[in-house]
Amino acid sequence: MSDAIKSRVKKVLSGSFLKDAGFPELGDGAPLIDYGVGVDSVSRLEFLVALEEEFGVRLDEAEIPPDFFESVDSISGYISRRVP
Amino acid sequence: MNTLSGLFLEAAGKFSSRTAVIEDGVSVTYGDLARSALSFASYLSSRGVGKGDRVAIFLPNSIEFVTAVFGVSLSGAVSVPVNSSFKTDEVGFYLGHSGAGLLVTADGLIKTAAEASAGSGIELVSVKGEKAAWKFLGNHQEEAVAADVGPGDEAIYLYSTGSTGKPKRVARTHYNLSALADNHTATVGWTWEDRVLFVVPISHTYGFGNFISAVKSGAAVIVSGEFNRNRVLDLLEKERITAFPAVPVMLDALSKTHTDRPRDLSSLKLVISAGAPLQEHTFFRFHERFSVYPRQLYGSTETGVISINLSGDDEIAERFNSVGRPVKNVSVKVFGEDGREAGTGEPGELAVRSPSMTAGYYGLPEETARVFRDGYYFTGDLGMIDEAGYIYIKGRKKLLINVGGFKVDPGEVENLLSQHPDIKEAAVLGVTDSLGNERVKAVIVARRPMDVKDVIGFCRERIAEYKVPSLVEFRRGLPRSPTGKILREQLK
Repeated sequence: MSDAIKSRVKKVLSGSFLKDAGFPELGDGAPLIDYGVGVDSVSRLEFLVALEEEFGVRLDEAEIPPDFFESVDSISGYISRRVP
Repeated sequence: MNTLSGLFLEAAGKFSSRTAVIEDGVSVTYGDLARSALSFASYLSSRGVGKGDRVAIFLPNSIEFVTAVFGVSLSGAVSVPVNSSFKTDEVGFYLGHSGAGLLVTADGLIKTAAEASAGSGIELVSVKGEKAAWKFLGNHQEEAVAADVGPGDEAIYLYSTGSTGKPKRVARTHYNLSALADNHTATVGWTWEDRVLFVVPISHTYGFGNFISAVKSGAAVIVSGEFNRNRVLDLLEKERITAFPAVPVMLDALSKTHTDRPRDLSSLKLVISAGAPLQEHTFFRFHERFSVYPRQLYGSTETGVISINLSGDDEIAERFNSVGRPVKNVSVKVFGEDGREAGTGEPGELAVRSPSMTAGYYGLPEETARVFRDGYYFTGDLGMIDEAGYIYIKGRKKLLINVGGFKVDPGEVENLLSQHPDIKEAAVLGVTDSLGNERVKAVIVARRPMDVKDVIGFCRERIAEYKVPSLVEFRRGLPRSPTGKILREQLK
């Protein structure tokens, strides 16, 4: 997967989630749960919608794999397989 | 008769051959639903359930939930709906506090139900799934008779999120529910031609109020479980939905959802937004995409539906942030801090008088006396009423966190966190994200090193997902006032 996709995922992460959380040195494989990403259904929904807007692809909450929210790597990997 | 069972049987008689409920393409008529609910009432009777007994209903939105609610009502017992996303201890609290003797659930929830009721003597009955002890179809008993209940008898226990660490029990009588359905239906004008989609849980006061109003009208009730954007869009389009009670988070997500083709939602006439403030960008974006304006509704567990914004399309854009005017037979006033009624446009606490409101909280006389005064329920919401009678909510006095329409009591989460052996103390508060939605934040003072996932994992096992902190911060100590009160503002 490309660094460009990872970079865009990080941009969405920093825009969608709490302003004061920050992602200063977020590693590609860092566990996102440490930042509260994907903890509850509202934050998962907001994040998926933001990713759809960024990449223009359908990301259905019932179709994404269970490990989708684990890290930038897991998110980027899934998206890279769906981006035309 | 002014009872929930009377309301249901009257609708079933009038609209016998019309569709009552649709779930996953399975359609049930009002006639069949009535026969099934009467049969379930007889089944409950055979299990020893009678007038005044409490029956907990731990089911997702489904045909079985609908049948159970009316079956319990017809048996003369009191329904205790329990959110199907609750975990063991939460369900256990509702069972114990309500005095339920029987729990109606589904195969998929039976493990949680069994753990929650272990040692209590509460009977469990699955009504949904392969192992169901009672099944909706094929259990019709024409001769079944409804119990003799009156308007003043208790019909349902709903629970109001407080700021004291535990939910407060709110009993609503048959008269309360009948009045709610009468007044809401008269205001929104639903008829048997309407088709109402329920994705919001019917076990919650918002869903329940709209649900019984839809049934009273003879409308078709389309039920769905967890919110899924594409599934909801499919249902709105395919089922030709005319009314859609939702929460702002859902409307915002739908308005932005990527779709491969345009959606035809031309049947949609009334989109209701409640549970949290509707943001301006959501209001306009939803209309831009689907050509229908969301209308804000205001309600509470204590009163049922209070008001709805039904201003004309020529005015709604100017008034989108109002929760509208009171529904029929409901009165709303604003009181200032000095206790005097505020004038037009003046801010204060909103107080409601409604025929559908409860008499008070069970076992909490002081709290009841504090908020139920002079025939009004003091909501704890701050707002004002304009010269045209439109209500605007500006904030709240209560220390609650609003996560997508679900209210979270910080005290409940703090109590849970204090049970973690590595946590010395914790403060829980609401913080607003970049989209204007509230999130649960926990500030932890740890006894020994621990990390965020320990905290989140601990909570996830014990409380519903919407209550779990999505932001966790560790500190050496919590800021406190000279009297020892936690200074939450400094933790945001």
